Amino acid sequence: MTTAALVHVVVSGLATGSIYALMAISLVIIFNATRTLNFAQGEMLMVSTFVGFTVYARAKVPLVVVMLVAVVAAALLGWVIERVLIRHAIASTPFDVLIITLGLSLVLRSAAGLTWTHDEFPFPSFFGDRPITLGPVRLVPVSLGIIGASLGLMWGLWALFTHTRLGRAMRAVAQNQRAARLMGISVERVYSASWVLASVVGALAGVLIAPVIFLSSKMGLVAINGFIAAVLGGFGSMPGAVVGGMLLGVIENLAPLYLPSSIKHSVPFLVLIAILLIRPGGVLGRPARRKV
Amino acid sequence: MRYPAVAIGAAGLVAWPWAAPPYFVFLASLVVVNAIVAIGLNLLSGYTNQLSFGHAGFLAVGAYTAAIVATRWPGVPVVVALLTAALGAALVGLLLGVPCLRLEGLYLAMATLAFGFVVVEAIVNLEWLTRGNDGLRVPTARLGPWALATDTARYYLAVLVGAAMVWAALNLVRTRTGRALLAIRESEIAAQASGVHLAKYKTLAFVISALYTGVAGGLFAFVVGFLSPDAFDVFLSVDFVAMIIVGGLGSVPGSVAGAAVLTVLNDSLAGFQNYRPLLFGALLIASMLFMPGGIASAVRRLKGG
Amino acid sequence: MRSRWALLPVALAVLAAAPARAEQGVTDAEVVLGCSNSFSGPLAFSGEQATKFGVDLYVRAVNDAGGVLGRKVRTVYYDDGYKPQEAVANTKKLVEQDGVFAIIAPQGTPPVLATLEYLEANKVPLLFPFQGSPITRARRYVFGGMTLYDRQSRMMIEYLVGQRKYRKLAALYQDDEYGKSFRAAFEKDLGRHGLKLVAAESVKRGVTDVSAPIAKLHAARPEVLFLVLTPGPGAQALRERQKIGWTEAVMVSSGPLTDERYLALAADAAEGVEGLSLWPDPLASDLPGVRLYRERMKRYFPGNEPNRYSLSGYFAAMLFAEGAKRAGRSLTREGLVVALEGIRDFESGILPPVTIGRDHETQKQGFWVRVEKRRFTPLTDWLKSE
Repeated sequence: MTTAALVHVVVSGLATGSIYALMAISLVIIFNATRTLNFAQGEMLMVSTFVGFTVYARAKVPLVVVMLVAVVAAALLGWVIERVLIRHAIASTPFDVLIITLGLSLVLRSAAGLTWTHDEFPFPSFFGDRPITLGPVRLVPVSLGIIGASLGLMWGLWALFTHTRLGRAMRAVAQNQRAARLMGISVERVYSASWVLASVVGALAGVLIAPVIFLSSKMGLVAINGFIAAVLGGFGSMPGAVVGGMLLGVIENLAPLYLPSSIKHSVPFLVLIAILLIRPGGVLGRPARRKV
Repeated sequence: MRYPAVAIGAAGLVAWPWAAPPYFVFLASLVVVNAIVAIGLNLLSGYTNQLSFGHAGFLAVGAYTAAIVATRWPGVPVVVALLTAALGAALVGLLLGVPCLRLEGLYLAMATLAFGFVVVEAIVNLEWLTRGNDGLRVPTARLGPWALATDTARYYLAVLVGAAMVWAALNLVRTRTGRALLAIRESEIAAQASGVHLAKYKTLAFVISALYTGVAGGLFAFVVGFLSPDAFDVFLSVDFVAMIIVGGLGSVPGSVAGAAVLTVLNDSLAGFQNYRPLLFGALLIASMLFMPGGIASAVRRLKGG
Repeated sequence: MRSRWALLPVALAVLAAAPARAEQGVTDAEVVLGCSNSFSGPLAFSGEQATKFGVDLYVRAVNDAGGVLGRKVRTVYYDDGYKPQEAVANTKKLVEQDGVFAIIAPQGTPPVLATLEYLEANKVPLLFPFQGSPITRARRYVFGGMTLYDRQSRMMIEYLVGQRKYRKLAALYQDDEYGKSFRAAFEKDLGRHGLKLVAAESVKRGVTDVSAPIAKLHAARPEVLFLVLTPGPGAQALRERQKIGWTEAVMVSSGPLTDERYLALAADAAEGVEGLSLWPDPLASDLPGVRLYRERMKRYFPGNEPNRYSLSGYFAAMLFAEGAKRAGRSLTREGLVVALEGIRDFESGILPPVTIGRDHETQKQGFWVRVEKRRFTPLTDWLKSE
């Protein structure tokens, strides 16, 4: 294995990892507001991307427009789901909400199959596949583009959470809902905003990854890796989600290079179990301590 | 205890193969298998609040153990195969449960999810033992001179085992262990304060849960007759979680009801082909919106009001 | 406890003594066929195409023309989501509840394998399953539906090593029964020429990133790389090869992978790719049977694009109809098995003349194609594997 090949594989892993990180961020945003896992995150991504694709297939609009359509569709989808399904159930246990999102994932995947068939479709990309040679290494625009766009999006989210009223309200709700309410924050609005934001981040991830793994009703399965990434980094922490995602993407790519095929596919899960046992709070998370 | 109700129920279970069309005998066996898993999972999740997304992994361990035992030693009584399956799964449960003590909530859920994936990978790669992706044909279960070669025979096996497991679960609640688990369910902190050894009982819940699922796995192997890694994917684990939540957390009858409802529903929707997941998902959502807390709490409300 | 078991033999005796009926699933007016297939899960697309747009396409055409010897064909399908246990449940339901005459065109090795023993024991014909594992061989009630993987491998190796004289071959395969069967067959067939795979890498189903296995295979510098994958990962592999500028090796796709969807996904990265094609081009072939298939598709399912999955289901139904016609008006399962075994040089207009015989393999052929300007161009006539 040459250095150039190794660099390429690692960069490719970072690109996939960026998508995992975005998925992890979406999951964390919803978890912080609703205190539940959103099983339908991947399917929401898939449906929004499909909506964008439909417009593209019909009208051949520029990719930026496709992306905007996907984002608007995602925002609408997130808002409707939160208002119609989640808010009613939020009073009962988080387990009920868990099952609702599970049901939703089945419904969305099946509905997508009925609308767009279960076929796979090529999706247009902002970035090319042809490598650029930079000294000893060759880099592929699509990988760099995904990494760059994801980092940009993450920076935007960071700005949102630290510099806007809404972002601060969301962080307050994540820390303590009752206190937030007493401070005069409309917790309901934060719920809505969280679902919309998570859905939009998912849609952007979808538009970025669809050219690589293709658009299909099963592309939502990428969310499983998002879950793992979020836990690797420490669930609830945004920087953790980013680190977890990148880590997972790189591990997934390096394991097949150096390990026998009998265990290489288990490596991400073994790493997850190991990290949970050594640092239960994840790489960047605080170890969970319960106070009596 | 309401003996008449139990007697009527038992009579119904015995009469089922004569009353129902043949296919429903097989389906009933699947219901029993899933009910045992649901009880096991509920003992873990409903009592000690440890949610597992890896029970398909325990089911696989049980199923493969029973199938391998029955293949290696032809003619071994099915009871021995099931016991081995139970012990195998319980052992794996112990190995997973002890380290998982440090985890809770989401972290535990993720560790068990990863466990489920690792089990499937192990089945795929231990080809000399499991025949990997080719799948493993399960020999006919034997009980002394009888070969349990028909769906009816296997149904009775499943029902007998299932009844024993339900009885054990209902009685477990009345033992010292059961009371400790109940105390943990109400409040871990209070339980600890009143002298319940939290780590011990949480591990025990894990082991018992795995044991139940292992028994169900053994039955699954004989009832279905063919095992392959595709059977035990993460969605199956999620189905089990759905069963106990739809049935009602912390309730043994609720587990059985949840397993029965979802198994029959899933099966009867198969004819809707590509609409099946849509309808199944929509019904899951509806049940949670209109019946929060699951079947058990709906029944409780009906009785109360 | 004991009395329950004592009742068991009685129950069995009652079942066994049920009067011998006319053949199940056949009446004067109709014959019922069915299968468990993937309408959800990883193979949902091919499952739906093979059944509702394949088998049913031919069935509708035949029924509109008066049926098979006056009997209309009715089909029943259940979704198994590619899970073996659900395939077992569905197949029992088909046989015991719906009373089907035969199972037609189920899909995927694990679900098909799970139902094999049950169907044999109940003497229900299993017609043309869409899977290639040799495990279905030598069973009285099973007729193969795809050129089996070991035959495909033999044809590919004979052509590449025997005729084209390649010596360094490698494989990228899916980490499941399909991929591993091919890998084992490649090793065996290469062994006959004193060769071995110079490298072999596997990927998981639904893989997101294939850069690592491709980098490893590239490092082994093979002359030929076999791709034993599904359309998505197959196209990803071709694009990945383009990304690292790997142009020397000939990429060769397995029979199941050689289809138009994979071409569409890979776009210009597919140029020059070769493969073993099991079917004539469903979109462009001028064979009379394929043209008729396209016309019928346009008439009955105007919104559905022709593809190899629906073509294979269509062919399966055609072969059943031919067998049922030969079995005559008094259609029985035994009669169908004998009639199918007797098929000699049946002209489908799709595949070369079909002769079935005692080995129950309906297909033993493929031809070599190369992708030129985004179309499969034939390089050879039909290659046979005997």
